[in-house]
Amino acid sequence: MIEVTNLVKRYRDLVAVDGISFKVEKGEVLGFLGPNGAGKTTTMRILTGASPATSGKALVAGFDVFEQPLEVKRRVGYLPEQPPLYDDLDTRSYLQFVARIKGLRGEKQKNEIERVIAACNLESVRRRRLGELSKGFRQRVGLAQALLGDPEVLILDEPTIGLDPNQIVEVRTLIQKLAEKHTVILSTHYLPEVIQLCKRVVIVHRGRIAANDTLENLTAGGRSLEQTFYDLTQQ
Amino acid sequence: MRNVFAIVRKELLQYFTTSVAYWVFAVFSLVTSFFFIRILTFFQRSIMLNSQMRPQMLQYMNFTDQVLAPLFYNAAVILIFVAPFLTMRLIAEERRARTFDLLLTNPVTPFQIALGKYLASLVVLLVMVLLTLVYPLLVSAYAEVGAVAWSTVFTGLLGIFLLGASFTAIGMFVSSLTQSQVVAAFLTFLVLLLLWVVGWAGADNAGLAREILTGLSAIEHIRGFAKGVIDLKDLAYYASLIGLGLFFTHRSIETLRWR
Ligand SMILES: Nc1ncnc2c1ncn2[C@@H]1O[C@H](COP(=O)(O)OP(=O)(O)OP(=O)(O)O)[C@@H](O)[C@H]1O
Ligand SMILES: [Mg+2]
Repeated sequence: MIEVTNLVKRYRDLVAVDGISFKVEKGEVLGFLGPNGAGKTTTMRILTGASPATSGKALVAGFDVFEQPLEVKRRVGYLPEQPPLYDDLDTRSYLQFVARIKGLRGEKQKNEIERVIAACNLESVRRRRLGELSKGFRQRVGLAQALLGDPEVLILDEPTIGLDPNQIVEVRTLIQKLAEKHTVILSTHYLPEVIQLCKRVVIVHRGRIAANDTLENLTAGGRSLEQTFYDLTQQ
Repeated sequence: MRNVFAIVRKELLQYFTTSVAYWVFAVFSLVTSFFFIRILTFFQRSIMLNSQMRPQMLQYMNFTDQVLAPLFYNAAVILIFVAPFLTMRLIAEERRARTFDLLLTNPVTPFQIALGKYLASLVVLLVMVLLTLVYPLLVSAYAEVGAVAWSTVFTGLLGIFLLGASFTAIGMFVSSLTQSQVVAAFLTFLVLLLLWVVGWAGADNAGLAREILTGLSAIEHIRGFAKGVIDLKDLAYYASLIGLGLFFTHRSIETLRWR
Protein backbone atom coordinates (compact mmCIF):
# COMPACT_ATOMS: atom_id res chain seq x y z
CA MET A 1 0.00 0.00 0.00
CA ILE A 2 2.89 2.32 0.82
CA GLU A 3 6.33 1.78 -0.60
CA VAL A 4 9.22 4.13 0.07
CA THR A 5 12.50 3.63 -1.74
CA ASN A 6 15.71 5.49 -0.99
CA LEU A 7 14.02 8.67 0.05
CA VAL A 8 16.35 11.63 0.60
CA LYS A 9 15.46 15.11 1.76
CA ARG A 10 18.09 17.77 2.01
CA TYR A 11 17.59 21.23 3.52
CA ARG A 12 20.58 23.14 2.20
CA ASP A 13 23.50 21.50 4.07
CA LEU A 14 21.31 19.46 6.40
CA VAL A 15 20.24 15.96 5.39
CA ALA A 16 16.92 15.46 7.20
CA VAL A 17 16.08 12.14 5.53
CA ASP A 18 19.02 10.09 4.33
CA GLY A 19 17.97 7.19 2.10
CA ILE A 20 14.96 5.72 3.87
CA SER A 21 13.20 2.64 2.47
CA PHE A 22 10.28 0.74 3.96
CA LYS A 23 6.95 -0.82 3.06
CA VAL A 24 3.54 -0.80 4.70
CA GLU A 25 1.02 -3.47 3.75
CA LYS A 26 -2.69 -2.86 3.42
CA GLY A 27 -4.50 -2.95 6.74
CA GLU A 28 -1.29 -2.49 8.69
CA VAL A 29 -0.60 0.12 11.38
CA LEU A 30 3.05 1.06 11.21
CA GLY A 31 4.64 2.60 14.27
CA PHE A 32 7.00 5.30 13.04
CA LEU A 33 9.42 6.07 15.84
CA GLY A 34 12.57 8.05 16.34
CA PRO A 35 14.12 10.70 18.55
CA ASN A 36 13.36 14.39 18.04
CA GLY A 37 14.72 15.60 14.74
CA ALA A 38 15.11 12.08 13.34
CA GLY A 39 13.16 12.93 10.19
CA LYS A 40 9.71 11.47 10.93
CA THR A 41 7.71 14.59 10.15
CA THR A 42 9.84 15.27 7.09
CA THR A 43 9.15 11.78 5.73
CA MET A 44 5.43 12.08 6.38
CA ARG A 45 5.28 15.47 4.67
CA ILE A 46 6.89 13.94 1.60
CA LEU A 47 4.43 11.03 1.55
CA THR A 48 1.46 13.38 1.67
CA GLY A 49 2.76 15.74 -0.99
CA ALA A 50 3.25 18.66 1.40
CA SER A 51 6.88 18.86 0.39
CA PRO A 52 8.99 17.22 -2.32
CA ALA A 53 11.84 14.80 -1.78
CA THR A 54 15.33 15.62 -2.96
CA SER A 55 15.52 12.15 -4.47
CA GLY A 56 14.00 8.72 -4.13
CA LYS A 57 10.65 7.20 -4.84
CA ALA A 58 7.41 6.89 -2.92
CA LEU A 59 4.29 4.94 -3.86
CA VAL A 60 1.11 5.50 -1.89
CA ALA A 61 -2.08 3.56 -2.66
CA GLY A 62 -0.54 2.46 -5.93
CA PHE A 63 0.34 5.94 -7.18
CA ASP A 64 3.66 7.71 -7.36
CA VAL A 65 3.65 10.68 -4.98
CA PHE A 66 5.69 12.77 -7.41
CA GLU A 67 4.12 11.65 -10.70
CA GLN A 68 0.45 11.56 -9.74
CA PRO A 69 0.15 13.69 -6.61
CA LEU A 70 -3.58 14.37 -7.01
CA GLU A 71 -4.41 10.65 -7.09
CA VAL A 72 -2.40 10.16 -3.91
CA LYS A 73 -4.00 13.14 -2.19
CA ARG A 74 -7.47 11.78 -2.91
CA ARG A 75 -6.62 8.65 -0.96
CA VAL A 76 -4.66 9.98 1.99
CA GLY A 77 -5.85 11.56 5.21
CA TYR A 78 -3.09 13.55 6.90
CA LEU A 79 -2.82 14.90 10.39
CA PRO A 80 0.23 17.20 10.36
CA GLU A 81 2.42 17.73 13.40
CA GLN A 82 0.64 21.06 13.96
CA PRO A 83 -3.11 20.76 13.27
CA PRO A 84 -3.81 22.95 10.20
CA LEU A 85 -6.74 24.96 11.58
CA TYR A 86 -8.19 28.28 10.48
CA ASP A 87 -8.61 30.09 13.78
CA ASP A 88 -11.42 32.30 12.49
CA LEU A 89 -13.71 29.48 11.42
CA ASP A 90 -15.85 27.37 13.72
CA THR A 91 -15.45 23.60 13.86
CA ARG A 92 -18.35 22.91 11.54
CA SER A 93 -17.51 25.36 8.80
CA TYR A 94 -13.90 24.22 8.95
CA LEU A 95 -14.85 20.57 8.48
CA GLN A 96 -17.24 21.65 5.75
CA PHE A 97 -14.44 23.38 3.88
CA VAL A 98 -12.12 20.39 4.15
CA ALA A 99 -14.93 18.06 3.05
CA ARG A 100 -15.52 20.25 0.00
CA ILE A 101 -11.91 20.25 -1.13
CA LYS A 102 -11.86 16.50 -0.62
CA GLY A 103 -14.69 16.37 -3.14
CA LEU A 104 -17.50 15.36 -0.77
CA ARG A 105 -20.90 16.81 -1.73
CA GLY A 106 -24.48 16.85 -0.57
CA GLU A 107 -25.73 14.10 1.73
CA LYS A 108 -22.38 12.34 1.74
CA GLN A 109 -20.70 15.50 2.96
CA LYS A 110 -23.19 15.98 5.80
CA ASN A 111 -22.94 12.36 6.87
CA GLU A 112 -19.18 12.38 6.82
CA ILE A 113 -18.99 15.55 8.89
CA GLU A 114 -21.40 14.11 11.45
CA ARG A 115 -19.44 10.87 11.51
CA VAL A 116 -16.08 12.50 12.26
CA ILE A 117 -17.64 14.88 14.78
CA ALA A 118 -18.99 11.87 16.64
CA ALA A 119 -15.79 9.83 16.22
CA CYS A 120 -13.60 12.60 17.66
CA ASN A 121 -16.08 13.77 20.32
CA LEU A 122 -16.44 17.26 18.91
CA GLU A 123 -20.16 17.66 19.55
CA SER A 124 -19.59 20.22 22.31
CA VAL A 125 -17.37 22.46 20.17
CA ARG A 126 -19.29 22.24 16.90
CA ARG A 127 -20.06 25.99 16.91
CA ARG A 128 -16.92 27.18 18.65
CA ARG A 129 -14.29 29.28 16.90
CA LEU A 130 -11.21 27.11 16.37
CA GLY A 131 -8.93 29.84 17.73
CA GLU A 132 -10.66 29.55 21.11
CA LEU A 133 -10.27 25.79 21.45
CA SER A 134 -7.93 24.15 23.93
CA LYS A 135 -4.90 22.28 22.62
CA GLY A 136 -6.51 18.87 22.97
CA PHE A 137 -9.62 19.93 21.09
CA ARG A 138 -7.51 21.48 18.35
CA GLN A 139 -5.71 18.17 18.02
CA ARG A 140 -9.05 16.35 17.78
CA VAL A 141 -10.37 18.71 15.10
CA GLY A 142 -7.14 18.07 13.20
CA LEU A 143 -7.72 14.34 13.48
CA ALA A 144 -11.37 14.69 12.44
CA GLN A 145 -10.24 16.55 9.32
CA ALA A 146 -7.89 13.69 8.42
CA LEU A 147 -10.69 11.12 8.76
CA LEU A 148 -13.11 12.98 6.44
CA GLY A 149 -14.02 10.94 3.39
CA ASP A 150 -12.72 7.77 5.00
CA PRO A 151 -9.43 7.68 3.08
CA GLU A 152 -7.72 4.32 2.67
CA VAL A 153 -4.38 5.63 3.91
CA LEU A 154 -3.94 7.63 7.10
CA ILE A 155 -0.75 9.42 7.97
CA LEU A 156 -0.89 10.62 11.54
CA ASP A 157 1.90 12.70 13.03
CA GLU A 158 1.66 12.34 16.81
CA PRO A 159 -2.14 12.10 16.92
CA THR A 160 -2.50 11.72 20.68
CA ILE A 161 -0.24 14.58 21.71
CA GLY A 162 -1.97 16.99 24.09
CA LEU A 163 -5.00 14.81 24.71
CA ASP A 164 -6.33 14.02 28.17
CA PRO A 165 -6.07 10.39 29.39
CA ASN A 166 -9.68 9.60 28.45
CA GLN A 167 -9.23 10.98 24.98
CA ILE A 168 -5.97 9.13 24.49
CA VAL A 169 -7.84 5.91 25.17
CA GLU A 170 -10.64 6.93 22.81
CA VAL A 171 -8.34 7.95 19.98
CA ARG A 172 -6.32 4.75 20.35
CA THR A 173 -9.51 2.70 20.20
CA LEU A 174 -10.50 4.69 17.14
CA ILE A 175 -7.20 3.97 15.41
CA GLN A 176 -7.51 0.32 16.36
CA LYS A 177 -10.93 0.19 14.70
CA LEU A 178 -9.57 1.98 11.62
CA ALA A 179 -6.76 -0.54 11.39
CA GLU A 180 -9.02 -3.21 10.00
CA LYS A 181 -9.71 -1.51 6.68
CA HIS A 182 -7.08 1.21 6.53
CA THR A 183 -3.37 1.56 6.20
CA VAL A 184 -1.92 3.76 8.89
CA ILE A 185 1.47 5.32 9.52
CA LEU A 186 1.54 6.50 13.09
CA SER A 187 4.34 8.57 14.51
CA THR A 188 4.41 8.90 18.26
CA HIS A 189 6.68 9.21 21.27
CA TYR A 190 4.36 7.16 23.51
CA LEU A 191 5.66 3.62 23.36
CA PRO A 192 2.65 2.00 25.09
CA GLU A 193 0.63 3.32 22.17
CA VAL A 194 2.90 1.50 19.77
CA ILE A 195 2.61 -1.71 21.75
CA GLN A 196 -1.17 -1.44 21.73
CA LEU A 197 -1.65 -0.47 18.09
CA CYS A 198 1.25 -1.57 15.90
CA LYS A 199 2.42 -4.94 14.71
CA ARG A 200 5.36 -3.47 12.87
CA VAL A 201 7.71 -0.67 13.82
CA VAL A 202 10.17 1.48 11.93
CA ILE A 203 12.68 3.39 14.02
CA VAL A 204 14.50 6.23 12.29
CA HIS A 205 17.58 7.88 13.65
CA ARG A 206 19.36 10.83 12.05
CA GLY A 207 17.43 10.34 8.85
CA ARG A 208 18.29 6.65 8.49
CA ILE A 209 16.41 3.47 9.31
CA ALA A 210 17.70 2.06 12.59
CA ALA A 211 15.13 -0.74 12.75
CA ASN A 212 12.36 -2.11 10.58
CA ASP A 213 10.86 -5.12 12.27
CA THR A 214 7.85 -6.59 13.97
CA LEU A 215 7.07 -5.45 17.47
CA GLU A 216 7.52 -9.05 18.51
CA ASN A 217 11.12 -9.20 17.34
CA LEU A 218 11.97 -5.80 18.76
CA THR A 219 10.79 -6.87 22.20
CA ALA A 220 12.12 -10.40 21.98
CA GLY A 221 13.86 -11.94 24.94
CA GLY A 222 11.88 -9.94 27.46
CA ARG A 223 13.43 -6.63 26.42
CA SER A 224 11.22 -3.60 26.68
CA LEU A 225 10.55 -1.43 23.62
CA GLU A 226 12.07 1.46 25.58
CA GLN A 227 15.31 -0.46 25.94
CA THR A 228 15.43 -1.33 22.23
CA PHE A 229 14.67 2.26 21.26
CA TYR A 230 17.38 3.50 23.59
CA ASP A 231 19.98 1.05 22.24
CA LEU A 232 19.22 1.85 18.62
CA THR A 233 19.23 5.63 18.93
CA GLN A 234 22.18 6.23 21.20
CA GLN A 235 25.27 6.59 19.04
CA MET B 1 -14.31 24.54 -10.51
CA ARG B 2 -15.95 23.17 -7.36
CA ASN B 3 -12.62 23.37 -5.58
CA VAL B 4 -12.35 26.99 -6.61
CA PHE B 5 -15.77 27.75 -5.15
CA ALA B 6 -14.93 25.90 -1.95
CA ILE B 7 -11.92 28.18 -1.55
CA VAL B 8 -13.93 31.29 -2.45
CA ARG B 9 -16.49 30.43 0.24
CA LYS B 10 -13.86 29.79 2.85
CA GLU B 11 -12.03 33.03 2.06
CA LEU B 12 -15.25 35.05 2.17
CA LEU B 13 -16.12 33.47 5.50
CA GLN B 14 -12.74 34.58 6.78
CA TYR B 15 -13.10 38.09 5.35
CA PHE B 16 -16.30 38.54 7.30
CA THR B 17 -15.51 36.63 10.51
CA THR B 18 -12.24 38.51 10.92
CA SER B 19 -14.20 41.72 10.09
CA VAL B 20 -11.48 42.72 7.62
CA ALA B 21 -14.26 43.20 5.07
CA TYR B 22 -16.26 45.48 7.35
CA TRP B 23 -13.25 47.60 8.20
CA VAL B 24 -12.35 47.96 4.56
CA PHE B 25 -15.94 48.95 3.69
CA ALA B 26 -16.07 51.44 6.55
CA VAL B 27 -12.76 53.13 5.81
CA PHE B 28 -13.40 53.29 2.08
CA SER B 29 -16.89 54.77 2.55
CA LEU B 30 -15.71 57.23 5.15
CA VAL B 31 -12.92 58.61 3.02
CA THR B 32 -14.92 58.71 -0.21
CA SER B 33 -17.78 60.51 1.56
CA PHE B 34 -15.31 63.06 2.86
CA PHE B 35 -14.09 63.70 -0.68
CA PHE B 36 -17.64 63.70 -2.01
CA ILE B 37 -18.73 66.42 0.39
CA ARG B 38 -15.66 68.52 -0.33
CA ILE B 39 -16.04 68.26 -4.08
CA LEU B 40 -19.76 68.87 -3.94
CA THR B 41 -19.37 71.95 -1.77
CA PHE B 42 -16.77 73.32 -4.15
CA PHE B 43 -19.09 72.62 -7.09
CA GLN B 44 -21.97 74.43 -5.37
CA ARG B 45 -19.83 77.43 -4.60
CA SER B 46 -18.64 77.76 -8.18
CA ILE B 47 -22.22 77.50 -9.45
CA MET B 48 -23.28 80.33 -7.18
CA LEU B 49 -20.25 82.39 -8.10
CA ASN B 50 -20.84 81.86 -11.81
CA SER B 51 -24.55 82.61 -11.67
CA GLN B 52 -23.73 86.01 -10.17
CA MET B 53 -20.66 86.91 -12.21
CA ARG B 54 -20.74 84.94 -15.46
CA PRO B 55 -24.12 83.33 -16.11
CA GLN B 56 -22.96 82.27 -19.58
CA MET B 57 -20.51 79.83 -17.93
CA LEU B 58 -23.30 77.87 -16.28
CA GLN B 59 -24.05 75.82 -19.38
CA TYR B 60 -20.54 74.35 -19.19
CA MET B 61 -20.97 73.15 -15.63
CA ASN B 62 -22.34 69.72 -14.97
CA PHE B 63 -22.42 67.36 -12.04
CA THR B 64 -21.01 64.35 -13.82
CA ASP B 65 -17.81 65.99 -15.03
CA GLN B 66 -17.19 68.24 -12.10
CA VAL B 67 -18.18 66.05 -9.18
CA LEU B 68 -18.27 62.42 -10.21
CA ALA B 69 -15.11 62.36 -12.32
CA PRO B 70 -12.91 63.84 -9.57
CA LEU B 71 -14.66 61.61 -7.02
CA PHE B 72 -13.77 58.50 -9.00
CA TYR B 73 -10.23 59.71 -9.35
CA ASN B 74 -9.99 60.16 -5.58
CA ALA B 75 -11.54 56.77 -4.95
CA ALA B 76 -8.81 55.27 -7.12
CA VAL B 77 -6.15 56.88 -4.94
CA ILE B 78 -7.84 55.60 -1.79
CA LEU B 79 -7.63 52.09 -3.19
CA ILE B 80 -3.85 52.30 -2.93
CA PHE B 81 -4.28 52.48 0.82
CA VAL B 82 -7.12 50.00 1.16
CA ALA B 83 -6.14 47.21 -1.25
CA PRO B 84 -3.09 46.04 0.77
CA PHE B 85 -5.34 45.27 3.74
CA LEU B 86 -7.63 43.29 1.51
CA THR B 87 -4.88 40.99 0.28
CA MET B 88 -2.23 40.82 3.01
CA ARG B 89 -3.78 37.78 4.71
CA LEU B 90 -4.48 35.69 1.61
CA ILE B 91 -1.37 33.51 1.46
CA ALA B 92 1.02 34.90 4.09
CA GLU B 93 -1.26 33.88 6.94
CA GLU B 94 -1.83 30.37 5.54
CA ARG B 95 1.91 29.89 5.49
CA ARG B 96 2.41 31.22 9.00
CA ALA B 97 -0.42 29.16 10.50
CA ARG B 98 0.68 26.08 8.51
CA THR B 99 -2.78 25.74 7.00
CA PHE B 100 -1.11 25.95 3.63
CA ASP B 101 -0.16 22.30 4.12
CA LEU B 102 -3.85 21.48 4.30
CA LEU B 103 -4.33 22.93 0.82
CA LEU B 104 -1.18 21.27 -0.50
CA THR B 105 -2.09 17.80 0.79
CA ASN B 106 -5.64 17.82 -0.56
CA PRO B 107 -6.63 17.33 -4.20
CA VAL B 108 -6.49 21.03 -5.06
CA THR B 109 -4.17 22.49 -7.70
CA PRO B 110 -2.07 25.62 -7.15
CA PHE B 111 -4.08 27.37 -9.84
CA GLN B 112 -7.35 26.60 -8.06
CA ILE B 113 -5.88 27.99 -4.84
CA ALA B 114 -4.78 31.21 -6.53
CA LEU B 115 -8.03 31.65 -8.45
CA GLY B 116 -10.26 30.92 -5.46
CA LYS B 117 -8.44 33.37 -3.26
CA TYR B 118 -8.43 36.00 -5.97
CA LEU B 119 -12.15 35.69 -6.73
CA ALA B 120 -12.97 36.04 -3.03
CA SER B 121 -11.00 39.28 -2.83
CA LEU B 122 -12.84 40.48 -5.96
CA VAL B 123 -16.21 39.88 -4.29
CA VAL B 124 -15.23 42.07 -1.36
CA LEU B 125 -13.82 44.65 -3.76
CA LEU B 126 -17.02 44.66 -5.80
CA VAL B 127 -19.19 45.34 -2.76
CA MET B 128 -16.83 48.12 -1.76
CA VAL B 129 -16.96 49.72 -5.20
CA LEU B 130 -20.75 49.46 -5.35
CA LEU B 131 -20.92 51.39 -2.08
CA THR B 132 -19.81 54.48 -4.05
CA LEU B 133 -23.11 54.22 -5.94
CA VAL B 134 -24.63 55.97 -2.94
CA TYR B 135 -23.32 59.35 -4.08
CA PRO B 136 -24.86 59.52 -7.56
CA LEU B 137 -28.05 57.97 -6.13
CA LEU B 138 -28.24 60.67 -3.48
CA VAL B 139 -27.68 63.37 -6.01
CA SER B 140 -30.24 62.03 -8.45
CA ALA B 141 -32.76 61.82 -5.62
CA TYR B 142 -32.40 65.53 -4.90
CA ALA B 143 -31.35 67.03 -8.20
CA GLU B 144 -33.43 67.97 -11.23
CA VAL B 145 -33.96 65.46 -14.01
CA GLY B 146 -30.88 64.40 -15.93
CA ALA B 147 -28.34 65.66 -13.42
CA VAL B 148 -26.53 62.33 -13.32
CA ALA B 149 -25.16 60.73 -16.47
CA TRP B 150 -25.56 57.09 -15.50
CA SER B 151 -23.36 55.82 -18.30
CA THR B 152 -20.46 57.78 -16.83
CA VAL B 153 -21.28 56.43 -13.38
CA PHE B 154 -21.14 52.95 -14.82
CA THR B 155 -17.80 53.38 -16.60
CA GLY B 156 -16.37 55.14 -13.56
CA LEU B 157 -17.30 52.26 -11.27
CA LEU B 158 -15.99 49.79 -13.83
CA GLY B 159 -12.71 51.68 -13.93
CA ILE B 160 -12.40 51.66 -10.14
CA PHE B 161 -13.23 47.98 -10.02
CA LEU B 162 -10.63 47.11 -12.66
CA LEU B 163 -8.04 49.22 -10.88
CA GLY B 164 -8.89 47.51 -7.58
CA ALA B 165 -8.76 44.11 -9.29
CA SER B 166 -5.26 44.92 -10.54
CA PHE B 167 -4.22 46.02 -7.06
CA THR B 168 -5.56 42.87 -5.40
CA ALA B 169 -3.82 40.69 -8.00
CA ILE B 170 -0.55 42.40 -7.13
CA GLY B 171 -1.33 42.19 -3.41
CA MET B 172 -2.07 38.48 -3.56
CA PHE B 173 1.25 37.82 -5.24
CA VAL B 174 3.12 39.86 -2.64
CA SER B 175 1.25 37.97 0.09
CA SER B 176 2.69 34.73 -1.26
CA LEU B 177 6.24 35.99 -0.77
CA THR B 178 6.24 36.26 3.01
CA GLN B 179 4.76 34.70 6.12
CA SER B 180 4.06 38.07 7.70
CA GLN B 181 0.83 39.93 6.99
CA VAL B 182 2.44 43.21 8.01
CA VAL B 183 5.31 42.77 5.57
CA ALA B 184 2.84 41.75 2.85
CA ALA B 185 0.68 44.84 3.40
CA PHE B 186 3.66 47.16 3.51
CA LEU B 187 5.32 45.78 0.38
CA THR B 188 2.03 45.86 -1.51
CA PHE B 189 1.52 49.44 -0.47
CA LEU B 190 5.00 50.35 -1.73
CA VAL B 191 4.38 48.71 -5.10
CA LEU B 192 1.00 50.42 -5.50
CA LEU B 193 2.50 53.74 -4.46
CA LEU B 194 5.15 53.29 -7.11
CA LEU B 195 2.46 52.60 -9.70
CA TRP B 196 0.87 55.88 -8.73
CA VAL B 197 3.90 58.17 -8.59
CA VAL B 198 5.31 57.07 -11.94
CA GLY B 199 2.42 59.17 -13.23
CA TRP B 200 3.86 62.26 -11.52
CA ALA B 201 7.26 61.46 -12.93
CA GLY B 202 5.56 61.24 -16.30
CA ALA B 203 4.08 64.70 -15.89
CA ASP B 204 7.54 66.11 -15.20
CA ASN B 205 8.93 64.69 -18.40
CA ALA B 206 8.22 65.23 -22.04
CA GLY B 207 8.02 63.20 -25.21
CA LEU B 208 8.52 59.47 -25.15
CA ALA B 209 9.52 59.31 -21.47
CA ARG B 210 6.28 61.04 -20.60
CA GLU B 211 4.26 58.61 -22.69
CA ILE B 212 5.87 55.58 -21.12
CA LEU B 213 5.74 56.79 -17.53
CA THR B 214 2.12 57.90 -17.64
CA GLY B 215 1.32 54.71 -19.53
CA LEU B 216 2.71 52.74 -16.60
CA SER B 217 0.80 54.66 -13.97
CA ALA B 218 -2.15 52.69 -12.68
CA ILE B 219 -4.12 55.77 -11.69
CA GLU B 220 -3.74 57.58 -15.01
CA HIS B 221 -5.66 54.80 -16.71
CA ILE B 222 -8.71 55.63 -14.64
CA ARG B 223 -9.10 59.10 -16.19
CA GLY B 224 -10.82 57.80 -19.30
CA PHE B 225 -13.28 55.69 -17.32
CA ALA B 226 -14.03 58.62 -15.01
CA LYS B 227 -14.99 60.72 -18.06
CA GLY B 228 -17.20 57.97 -19.44
CA VAL B 229 -14.81 56.63 -22.06
CA ILE B 230 -13.83 52.97 -22.21
CA ASP B 231 -10.49 52.87 -23.98
CA LEU B 232 -9.02 49.59 -25.17
CA LYS B 233 -5.59 50.75 -23.98
CA ASP B 234 -6.85 51.14 -20.42
CA LEU B 235 -8.62 47.80 -20.49
CA ALA B 236 -5.49 46.10 -21.79
CA TYR B 237 -3.43 47.75 -19.06
CA TYR B 238 -5.60 46.46 -16.23
CA ALA B 239 -6.07 43.07 -17.85
CA SER B 240 -2.32 42.60 -18.07
CA LEU B 241 -1.77 43.61 -14.42
CA ILE B 242 -4.45 41.12 -13.36
CA GLY B 243 -3.02 38.40 -15.59
CA LEU B 244 0.52 38.98 -14.36
CA GLY B 245 -0.60 38.99 -10.72
CA LEU B 246 -2.41 35.68 -11.10
CA PHE B 247 0.40 34.14 -13.12
CA PHE B 248 3.08 35.04 -10.59
CA THR B 249 0.91 33.95 -7.65
CA HIS B 250 0.47 30.60 -9.34
CA ARG B 251 4.21 30.30 -9.89
CA SER B 252 4.88 31.33 -6.35
CA ILE B 253 2.54 28.68 -4.93
CA GLU B 254 4.23 26.12 -7.16
CA THR B 255 7.64 26.99 -5.76
CA LEU B 256 6.28 27.00 -2.19
CA ARG B 257 5.29 23.43 -2.86
CA TRP B 258 8.86 22.69 -3.86
CA ARG B 259 10.40 23.79 -0.59
N1 LIG C 1 11.81 23.54 6.74
C1 LIG C 1 12.97 23.10 7.25
N2 LIG C 1 14.12 23.75 6.98
C2 LIG C 1 15.30 23.30 7.45
N3 LIG C 1 15.43 22.22 8.23
C3 LIG C 1 14.33 21.52 8.55
C4 LIG C 1 13.04 21.92 8.08
N4 LIG C 1 12.12 21.04 8.54
C5 LIG C 1 12.81 20.15 9.28
N5 LIG C 1 14.13 20.43 9.29
C6 LIG C 1 15.17 19.63 9.96
O1 LIG C 1 15.06 18.30 9.55
C7 LIG C 1 15.35 17.43 10.63
C8 LIG C 1 14.23 16.44 10.80
O2 LIG C 1 13.08 17.13 11.30
P1 LIG C 1 11.68 16.41 11.54
O3 LIG C 1 10.71 17.48 11.85
O4 LIG C 1 11.39 15.52 10.41
O5 LIG C 1 11.96 15.55 12.84
P2 LIG C 1 10.94 14.62 13.64
O6 LIG C 1 11.50 13.25 13.57
O7 LIG C 1 9.57 14.84 13.21
O8 LIG C 1 11.16 15.18 15.13
P3 LIG C 1 10.09 15.38 16.32
O9 LIG C 1 10.06 14.09 17.05
O10 LIG C 1 10.73 16.45 17.15
O11 LIG C 1 8.80 15.77 15.73
C9 LIG C 1 15.59 18.30 11.84
O12 LIG C 1 16.98 18.42 12.03
C10 LIG C 1 15.00 19.63 11.46
O13 LIG C 1 15.69 20.67 12.07
MG1 LIG D 1 7.86 15.49 14.06
